[in-house]
Amino acid sequence: MRKIAVLGLVLLVVSLTIVACGGAPAATQPGAAPAAGQAAAKTGGEKTVTIGFTTSQTGSANLESGRQTNGFKLWLDEINAKGGLKLADGTTLKFASKSYDDESKKDRVQELYTKLVNDDKADFLISPYSSGLADAVAVIAEQYGRVMITAGASSDSTHDKGYSLVYMSYTPASRYLTGALDLLAKLDPNAKKVAIINEKDKFSTDVVTAAKAYAEGKGYQIVTFEGYDTGATDFAPYINKIPAGVDAVIGGGHFADGSTFARQLLEKGIKAKFIALLVAPPEPKFAELGDAALGVIGPSQWEPLAKYSAEGAKAAGVEYYGPKLEDFVTEYKGKYTEEPSYHAAGGYAAGLLLQKAIETAGSTDTQKVKAALDKMDLMTFFGRTKFDTSEKTHGLQLGHDMVYIQWQKGADGKLTKQVVWPEAGKSASALYPAR
Amino acid sequence: MKVGNVGAVRPAASAAVPSIPARFWQRVSFWVTLAVVALLGAVAIVSQRDTLREAMFTLLMFASLASSLNILLGYTGYVSFGHIVFFGLGGYSGFYFISKQGWSIYPSLIVGGLVASVIALLIGLSILRLRGAYFALATIGILEAARAFVANFGPFGGSTGLSINFSVYRQYGGPAQALWTSFYIMWVITFIVVIVSFYIKSSRFGLGLLSIREDEDAALVMGVNAPRWKTLAYVVSAFFPGVIGTLYFFKNGNVEPADAFRLQMSIETIVMVMLGGQGTVLGPILGAATYDRLRSYLLTSDLFKNLHLAVAGLALLLIVLFVPAGVVGWLRGRFAQLRRVLE
Repeated sequence: MRKIAVLGLVLLVVSLTIVACGGAPAATQPGAAPAAGQAAAKTGGEKTVTIGFTTSQTGSANLESGRQTNGFKLWLDEINAKGGLKLADGTTLKFASKSYDDESKKDRVQELYTKLVNDDKADFLISPYSSGLADAVAVIAEQYGRVMITAGASSDSTHDKGYSLVYMSYTPASRYLTGALDLLAKLDPNAKKVAIINEKDKFSTDVVTAAKAYAEGKGYQIVTFEGYDTGATDFAPYINKIPAGVDAVIGGGHFADGSTFARQLLEKGIKAKFIALLVAPPEPKFAELGDAALGVIGPSQWEPLAKYSAEGAKAAGVEYYGPKLEDFVTEYKGKYTEEPSYHAAGGYAAGLLLQKAIETAGSTDTQKVKAALDKMDLMTFFGRTKFDTSEKTHGLQLGHDMVYIQWQKGADGKLTKQVVWPEAGKSASALYPAR
Repeated sequence: MKVGNVGAVRPAASAAVPSIPARFWQRVSFWVTLAVVALLGAVAIVSQRDTLREAMFTLLMFASLASSLNILLGYTGYVSFGHIVFFGLGGYSGFYFISKQGWSIYPSLIVGGLVASVIALLIGLSILRLRGAYFALATIGILEAARAFVANFGPFGGSTGLSINFSVYRQYGGPAQALWTSFYIMWVITFIVVIVSFYIKSSRFGLGLLSIREDEDAALVMGVNAPRWKTLAYVVSAFFPGVIGTLYFFKNGNVEPADAFRLQMSIETIVMVMLGGQGTVLGPILGAATYDRLRSYLLTSDLFKNLHLAVAGLALLLIVLFVPAGVVGWLRGRFAQLRRVLE
């Protein structure tokens, strides 16, 4: 009997430890974040709205996700520093945030968002960085009836699953390179031969599949259509398949492979007149490639050089909301001592869009905010925003457009980044032919 | 790689009190292990807290993955870095039937498991001839090969993977109920893994596996059909990751090659088995529970959340240095009375 008692004791200790570990953070949460859980409770005309999200503090998406969070935090600090958001009924809303590390992995991301909604009482959600994680989390947002703005996620497929509360702030992947083809058509109506070489991951494959269909629809001839594995460093087998006389090379994937690919295109003497690659070119580090970067075009969700303004909004017949583009850039630089990337701008914009929707709704009620988002059509420093409201692809971004940058030589011979498309927002004319 | 089984000597012969048959203590040990699994699931059900349910889902998932790996790693002594191959391939296959063929989750789970087992049979026939580091290396190679294959396999969506429409959850009573259903299924799977694991260990087949672990050549001489039994162990241990993969991807709603074949997940599963005590039935469950709760706690604790990887690494280092036999191995070594009840 004594032995069984000892065993029972051991089991008790083990189970208590497990329960304690499972319950402890939740139990201490209200103390750690006093605002959480009382979001809807009025405290003398002032409410606190909690926004929950995960950020990839570790893992492969660490850099991009970190910038996105920086952008979001800048928005949060600014709105609270202004005294919060005043609603039509006189209530003042203050904003609080709660976040965890998702380690750039799907393993625990659903668990963390469930915790954000249930324990931390998040009223609204922002997605994690990357399409895969955002996709997994959308189920949770939908299940608990929380509006979620996706930032850093551009997969079209997230929005063909019947979700009604998930709103995409980025231009979807299917339109990443279509603008580049429009630019090519404008620059050279005689260009016909296009080679597509891309990384074989979800994002890049989605992008080039859509770009290929678009190009074929416009009468282009796809002379090469090849994919390389993630982490590839030798592109010679693919570059060798590009036939002579090619007009354009498009594709790429992420930073490391995209920049190596650009370098090897130069080394192999590919004389394409037009080169457009994903993700890598907008990064300032891309300029370190020197001549290999010259003339390369890259799609970007946003650039500090972009020209979104109240005047532009007026011309387009929509409202302009939020800070001026220059003000955002100055404030971001002031806080983080670096130029904001599109990831950072996306993080800020996610907060701003939520703010506008709550303001229009005059409430934090999910259904009212959803109705406001459905009706939203406006311009911010991040560009235009309008969501698809059809049942089939609800929440897909329709209004936002990519901007296309190109590395060009300035008067001092140094490489500089110029916005070359769309026409309305360009800072310089495109260099064509690029080589 | 063959691993010695520290502190996990079969208890029946050594310390049994003559008046009580060894089988009695085996039965106690069996119920103790089941009680632990029951408790882990009951915590979420009784509290009805969604957060706890999610936490326990992850825990039970790792517990059953670790427990299924233990059949190969703990009983047979073969270190496989490729256990997640079956999670990925089986899960992909099961998920394919849910996503593309409109099947219900239940038959898809079985299909996921069976596909994983068949693949294990084919792989096992060739690579189980290797021993030690060569076997471990081959399993890493298979993991990479499987990822490359799936990333180029059209029916599985290639590099963009597969996903299911949100409306699929309606047939399970809506998304909220679907998440609870997933949890219940996970709980049942864990029970089944424990029961299978226990019965293998206490069977003649299990004794054969243990003898292979201790000395494969001697086992062969003694008449153990080592190639066949090793393969069978491999097939059984691969079935469960296939089922779990299907369920996990169903719950996530999508799958991509990069999520399905993560070497890190394989390594984490090995760590859980080692931590709890390899070769024991209860060990992998406790190892998974400890490791998962530690990681989860560090990740969400306000104090540690910015340092969670460093703290988790330090904790693992201390455990490996001071408790190399795992939790169960340590308990058995420290308290002789417990040897009978901790299988």
